[in-house]
Amino acid sequence: MNTIVRKQMSINTDVMDMLNNQIAMEMKASASYLAMASWCDQRELLNSKAFFYKQAEEEREHAMKIFTFINDNGGAAISPSVTNVNNDFESLRAIYETGLEQEIAVTESIFKIFKAARKADDFITEVFLQWFISEQSEEEDTFRSIIDVFDLMEGMPLKMIDERLPKE
Amino acid sequence: MPVKNVVNTNNSYQIQHITFCKYALITPNKIINLSFPQMLELRRKINALTTYSALNSIIDNENFVLLFVADKQHLIFLEIPQLLKLKDEIAAFFQEAVLA
Repeated sequence: MNTIVRKQMSINTDVMDMLNNQIAMEMKASASYLAMASWCDQRELLNSKAFFYKQAEEEREHAMKIFTFINDNGGAAISPSVTNVNNDFESLRAIYETGLEQEIAVTESIFKIFKAARKADDFITEVFLQWFISEQSEEEDTFRSIIDVFDLMEGMPLKMIDERLPKE
Repeated sequence: MPVKNVVNTNNSYQIQHITFCKYALITPNKIINLSFPQMLELRRKINALTTYSALNSIIDNENFVLLFVADKQHLIFLEIPQLLKLKDEIAAFFQEAVLA
């Protein structure tokens, strides 16, 4: 890295831009989970609402982790605007399927940043992102397990399915 | 080189490193001192203004941009060629060059 910039920043500037995009993605995911939580809350799906409120908090925590990481390493973290949040869903199963798709998109995005960091010899970001990769693997597994429950309990009342789902 | 001795003879914008945490944006009219966070903010704004869609939007409208820099202490006027030149200047400043 350019020595002038290196003295001010420990991370690569292009990778920093990607991390800022990731903050926006995590915040959008948080807002999306909040909309899902509200849909469940209005329909008294107690376990699902608790699950999505928790997911919304977790996504925000992920965004904040990246946010402080950028600033701690001399970069400039950007507070994102979150727009076009979908609040309209067709079913509880569709919500969890959307959740899984969202998690996969986040995982793929982190992979891209990881690759860019590796290519730029930005080892600090590479090591930082390893936690996110493990976390995403767990998140995807959680959603897949829940969707499995829907398949196993096909035809059962929604409230009964909800009672078998994890709260977090 | 002391920044006051720099004479900008063309119409473009240049960046100069002054001290460890002090930089200067040399414009055709004045010299603007910038800190590193202000440099990062300038980079972000210029990158946002030079995307394909942003450039098209500028060309379709006023054909120039007015940009606040240095924590809104200065306002600069940029025409498209100056904007693109400044983008290159900033990219060169932040470029990935492992110095031998």
